[in-house]
Amino acid sequence: MSGTDGLALATRGLRKNYGSRRALNGLDLSVPTGVVYGFLGPNGAGKTTTMRVLTGLVHSDGGTVELLGKPFKRGDRRRLFEVGALVESPTFYPFLSGRANLRELAAAGAPVPAGRIDELLDLMGLADRAGDKVQNYSMGMKQRLGIAGALLNDPKLLLLDEPANGLDPAGIVAMRDTLKTLAGLGKTVFISSHLLAEVQVMADVVGIIAAGKLVREGPLKELLSLEGVVRVRVRPSLVDAAIKTLAPLAKAEPLAETDRDEGWLSVHLAPDRAEDVNQMLAGAGIFASGLESSADLEMLFLDLTGGNGSPDGEGTFVGLTGPIDGQDGGTPAGKGAAA
Amino acid sequence: MRLFFSGIRKLIRRPATWVTFGLLVGLLVLIVVAVGATANSNLGGPGGSGRGTAAKELVTFPGAYDRMLTFITGLGGLFAMVYGAAIAGSEWSWGTLKSAVARGESRVRYMLVSFASISLMIGIGVVVAFGISIVAAIVGAHLAGVSTSGLGDTSTLSHLPERLLKGWFAVAEEAGLGFTIATLARSQLAGIGAGIAFYFGESFASIFLPDIVKYMPFSVANAALATGSGSGFSGGAATVSLPADQALVLVALWLVGSLLITALFSDRVEITG
Repeated sequence: MSGTDGLALATRGLRKNYGSRRALNGLDLSVPTGVVYGFLGPNGAGKTTTMRVLTGLVHSDGGTVELLGKPFKRGDRRRLFEVGALVESPTFYPFLSGRANLRELAAAGAPVPAGRIDELLDLMGLADRAGDKVQNYSMGMKQRLGIAGALLNDPKLLLLDEPANGLDPAGIVAMRDTLKTLAGLGKTVFISSHLLAEVQVMADVVGIIAAGKLVREGPLKELLSLEGVVRVRVRPSLVDAAIKTLAPLAKAEPLAETDRDEGWLSVHLAPDRAEDVNQMLAGAGIFASGLESSADLEMLFLDLTGGNGSPDGEGTFVGLTGPIDGQDGGTPAGKGAAA
Repeated sequence: MRLFFSGIRKLIRRPATWVTFGLLVGLLVLIVVAVGATANSNLGGPGGSGRGTAAKELVTFPGAYDRMLTFITGLGGLFAMVYGAAIAGSEWSWGTLKSAVARGESRVRYMLVSFASISLMIGIGVVVAFGISIVAAIVGAHLAGVSTSGLGDTSTLSHLPERLLKGWFAVAEEAGLGFTIATLARSQLAGIGAGIAFYFGESFASIFLPDIVKYMPFSVANAALATGSGSGFSGGAATVSLPADQALVLVALWLVGSLLITALFSDRVEITG
């Protein structure tokens, strides 16, 4: 595969159909080695299908996959010996204890060194409950056990689907630290998640998928700086002059009046360039009464995906924005707005 | 081998193993002891004395050896099929196959080794259930006032290992059928339901289509163990049976065929959900 040197995971032109529904439509992922990679996308965008293809659970209809620098084709199951995965929800034998479940999971696939199971039970804070049957575990405990299962063979590449599911805040922080530590050790962590805030604090690189295709990929800081916004407030009578002054900073469509009456302007700019905005305005004799900058993944995500999956995907939550006819609730967003 | 031993460990700890075995042995002991206890009671009505004789025959050795084994392979065959379906189906329903495959395990190896573990458990189950049934038959014989002098019949005892081996093989074939049905259904409940329907369907169809049903899995399993002494315990049996040797070959074909389908399906199917 061309251009995949130094990548822990790469897909090129990955395609997958379920009947007439196209789940993946030429997906090109490039996951560098030793990073936490956040794989984002709306419901039905193809994230889970991608995870399934990467773990050999389903077979792609076209395109190529490289795992740890080597092609991963149908029948190349040994490539997964260096990969740990938690796909969708964690799965266990309910009648076995947590420890026994890990032991039986370790009997499949790559051999696991002695003592590894106890080490992971300690790491996941499950040592005290390791002898309890999994059917008595909470969702968070099952999730931690699932992550322990993914770490059994000390993988070089870790594929995790919604790893924060069911974890309490302390658990999320611990998981985040653990994954960052693993990345620091040179391992690659690939996380599929809906929790944008979580990905924003954890990921080094993100890939955003919509309708089965990659719509943006790159280092998180870089993407956020490109998608950042600096908001500045000037006297309303000076809005036009401010727009003219800031025009040189503008890119394609960077400047917008967000509230002329209040004098607010938004400039699409890296957040660390707020100072430049202030300086240019001051140079023109316009003094800002308010200045704020922000960059968040949610805005980028919604910009790129429109909040939708694929046209024939599973859809998404519409939400309520106003009163429902005859009730105090609301109308579905979008529909309500259009009406 | 670690996958095989893992399969054994899982089966030992699995409630379904003990429930299935307990049900079979419980029914067997209950029936045999009840038959022995009532064999001498006043059986009124037409054929009453004949039923009493048949009851005593059930617990009379050495014939009781064969009858107990037929009971185990007959009703036990149904239980084994449900057991096989439960184990295979749960691998899909619980998603444990998915976890193993995602760790790089071969789907075909995983499923076939799982079945090998089931077969070993069934073999142990057949032998232990047979031992318990013989004890129950001795108790039944005492209750019926029948002599147990035939217990040490050397001719019967010398053939016992071979008969037990055939019984294991026949029950394993039935378990294999349930295992395959549940694999195709990718569901525990669907596998169990379809398996039970198959069992009773075959039994029912034997009334109308005996020449076809005699080649079907439950019928060949029963026929493989038939000695001509007759028994009233072998469920799902055709009224027309194949010769035992021919039936044994068909048992092997059904078993191999089932496992082949399981292997092909497991290898090709997409694991979702």
